[in-house]
Amino acid sequence: MSQRVNLDLKKELFLYGAKEWNQCFQCGNCTATCHTTENGFFFPRKTVRQVLMGLKKSLQTNIDPWLCTYCGDCSRTCPRDANPAEMMMSIRRYLISVYDWTGISKLFYKSKTLEVTSIIVLSIIVMVLYLIYTTFPSGDSSQWIGPDGGALINKMAPWQTIHLGDWLMAGALVFLVITNIFYMWYKIIYDDKSLKVGFIDYLKPFSKLVKLINPDVKYAKCDEKKLTTYWVLHAFLALSYGTLFAIIVFFLDWFQTDTVYPFLHPQRILGYIATIGLTVGIIYFYTNRTLKNMENSKYSHFTDWTFLILLFFTTLTGILLHVFRIYGLPQLTYVTYMLHLMVLVPMLVIEVPFSKWSHMIYRPFALYFAHLKKMVIEKSKTIPHQPQYN
Amino acid sequence: MEGIKTTAVFFSNSSRGDSDLIDIPEIINYTEKLIKVNSVWLQDDINIYSPELVSRKIRKDNIQRIVIAGQNPGMYKSLFAKAIVLAGFSPDDVILASFPEHGALIKSDTEWAKAIVACAVNNIPFENATLTEEISVNPNTLVIGGGIAGIQASLEIAASKNKVYLVEKSGTIGGHMAMFDKTFPTLDCAACILTPKMVEVGQHQYIELMTYSEVKEIRGIPGDYKVKILKKARRMSLSKCIGCGVCAEKCPVKTPSEFDSKTTLRKAAYIPFPQAVPNKYMIDESVCTYVASGKCGICAKVCPVPGCINLDEKDEIVEVNVGNIIVAIGFKTFDASKFEQFGYGRFPNVLTSLELERLINASGPTGGKIARRIQDKKGNWIFSPEEVYSPKSVAIIHCIGSRDENHNKYCSKVCCMYSLKLAHLLKEKLPDSEINEYYIDIRAYGKGYEEFYNRIKEEGVNIIRGRPAKVEMYGNELIVRCEDIEGAAMIEQKVDMVILAVGTEPAADARDIAGKLGISVDRDGWFNELNYIGDPVSTLSSGIMIAGVCQGPKDIPDSVAQASAAASRVLQSISKGTIRKSVKTLSVEQIEKRSQELSKILEEKL
Repeated sequence: MSQRVNLDLKKELFLYGAKEWNQCFQCGNCTATCHTTENGFFFPRKTVRQVLMGLKKSLQTNIDPWLCTYCGDCSRTCPRDANPAEMMMSIRRYLISVYDWTGISKLFYKSKTLEVTSIIVLSIIVMVLYLIYTTFPSGDSSQWIGPDGGALINKMAPWQTIHLGDWLMAGALVFLVITNIFYMWYKIIYDDKSLKVGFIDYLKPFSKLVKLINPDVKYAKCDEKKLTTYWVLHAFLALSYGTLFAIIVFFLDWFQTDTVYPFLHPQRILGYIATIGLTVGIIYFYTNRTLKNMENSKYSHFTDWTFLILLFFTTLTGILLHVFRIYGLPQLTYVTYMLHLMVLVPMLVIEVPFSKWSHMIYRPFALYFAHLKKMVIEKSKTIPHQPQYN
Repeated sequence: MEGIKTTAVFFSNSSRGDSDLIDIPEIINYTEKLIKVNSVWLQDDINIYSPELVSRKIRKDNIQRIVIAGQNPGMYKSLFAKAIVLAGFSPDDVILASFPEHGALIKSDTEWAKAIVACAVNNIPFENATLTEEISVNPNTLVIGGGIAGIQASLEIAASKNKVYLVEKSGTIGGHMAMFDKTFPTLDCAACILTPKMVEVGQHQYIELMTYSEVKEIRGIPGDYKVKILKKARRMSLSKCIGCGVCAEKCPVKTPSEFDSKTTLRKAAYIPFPQAVPNKYMIDESVCTYVASGKCGICAKVCPVPGCINLDEKDEIVEVNVGNIIVAIGFKTFDASKFEQFGYGRFPNVLTSLELERLINASGPTGGKIARRIQDKKGNWIFSPEEVYSPKSVAIIHCIGSRDENHNKYCSKVCCMYSLKLAHLLKEKLPDSEINEYYIDIRAYGKGYEEFYNRIKEEGVNIIRGRPAKVEMYGNELIVRCEDIEGAAMIEQKVDMVILAVGTEPAADARDIAGKLGISVDRDGWFNELNYIGDPVSTLSSGIMIAGVCQGPKDIPDSVAQASAAASRVLQSISKGTIRKSVKTLSVEQIEKRSQELSKILEEKL
């Protein structure tokens, strides 16, 4: 596969975080330290080499950075202080922008202003729509204030209306995510002419289902012991996030009720657990990134922070909304509901297809493709490659 | 100011953000106040890729001459030469002011760097502006350090019938070279080269050898130093000891031998090694029970020479007058236990290169047989000369502590070559064994070195490109995990022994000695020379020369050459009878004034 050397590749990658590319002298320490390295995957040294040599096509079809769990073993022992783990993180950000065929995520990664502006514009649109489609507070407020003085939330913002908006948004997001993953498959599997993948091969990786679903399993092999806490909290955060996402998009009629149920009602319990998951996760990641006490929290791109900040405000407004509703403060409930939507929608629309959030969907697929690729290569290879010395 | 060319000073900020280096903002402040300077340019003001834009700036600021100042000004010379020609002036008007070239390297040299800029602004060579007056010189010389460099320098000076005081910290001269088995690339026996020189030093009538001594204090000026030397108590008379060894035989205290890299034990009454110069026994006061508690004294009872052992001897201070000083204090090896991943100190058969050097040597712990450490009855891991288990495979890992941002950033220069030499010696003694060298880059520079490297490859040593990440121990086996970059494979190699090729570091007391001498060290701790390229043996103090590894990592031939060069500098001043005062006696104002006067004289002549 002949390729044109792209000398600007390194400079392009500066925008995605790591800047120490020239530090690397290709000693192979990172590959040897890395627990994801197996014969055939010379990672991360080989990936860094592709960047250094400007092999853009090889880099774009490279799946190895997705195997990285950012345990930081390589960065800690790198003799050149080149931060290979952060390099892999930057390449993952780059790959997210490569898989996004619309090109929007590239713009967001490159410009902080653009990202912030889009978030603000989206918020304003949501606000306007909210004001139009809900009962306007200056109107007949008696309709949505209950007998006990609290807000009748389904009168104020009927779940049917919100659901409609949810589904429109979810539809768009699903379309973007699916097309992006299709593009990813095209780049990694289809475009690689040396791979001959039959239909039946696509089913084979499912025998290793646990590894595919939870990439965090691999953390157990790293030298860094703090990572156990890290991945437990990371998984808790992801699960809570997923639960709330599913409830809001598909079961809003069950979750958003006018009657306030007793404390031990499943609706409230589930909500509380997920809220704790989000809160603890946000606090943990915030402290980690501020104290920079772990390799994977030392360097944060601004897109990482945007996601965390939006998630924080979503959680905060969600909690406030709940408090105001229970304690019967109708006007505040109304405003908080609006604010909640104003941060929730940009968080989903901006982050899911175009930014940090999307690693949640790309990573399992990348692991799936990696296993697929490995199985196909192993099948086609009859004589294993033997290294020759001297 | 008619007739004087308008001058701009450009600062290349290669030292930006590094607090150890020269304080550039302070120099910029100073430069702006100089009379002839019209403008000061920083790297941010200049597009260093476009001579056209620079020439436009030259015309805009109405500049006729440019001074480039900084760590590496030569890098920008071609840019400014092109730009100044485009602006219509002569390229001769681009002047370099290199800080390192004139010995300004670290923060404390900031004042010195100012003087370098002042001379360049006045277009006067720094050497001309800093000529100092000559004063008479004392013909005696002090050499600090008794390794190969110190020995060589002493012999060179003593050969011209001038008195040399050779001060050595340990009980014998010889230094690290005495510990080596063979030298590269000729594979000569190191002792065969060194021992005759050591004996010559010991017997030379013009060399006063002071072993087990340290330089306590240095006062005076070049040509007339008064040096106080602390002669530590050997507790055995140098004149009376006959070297019979009865004291060591009976001494009950055992301690690891420094000479054998702590692979064997010696007694508290000991001789560092059989060929030591002076070949006399001594007491190690740090472990001797008599020194600690006043009990024992067996050695004094068994000694056949009456009055030889005086266990109550005290340290004494000797004062000598010298005109010149040669510093050759050498190096220490990197502490391999800083690398936790390689398990040095935890795994018994992970050795440093210096330990292997002793193991290979015929006078080493196993009498020259290559053996693994085994457990004795008490459970200690020892090299046993009786039970020899030869390793079937050995891994040699390069660059331990060198070329590493977390440890020493510099290349230690000798490790590649000595690792290849060790591989050869292992292959010679164990022809059936498998020897693997793991390297990042092989640096086989110099005469006969590349040929030596090729020869080792032909001998069947596996040379593998890739830095191992870790060494693990399972049972008796060590496993080295590494990426073989050229062979495109991951390796998990089972070996019986791992050798860590440790790098060189400045001696532990290098900064201390530099402080006493009033010379500077660089950020790594190596002594600063006056001019790295043109004058690598002199320091800013004209009576003090440096030689050997204390100036920077180097191999034995280079050390010997530098020692001879330092000696020739000393002999130059002795034979002339005079020495220039230290340039450090000049202040920045004096140098600035002098360069102005000189440039005025030159302008009048033109």
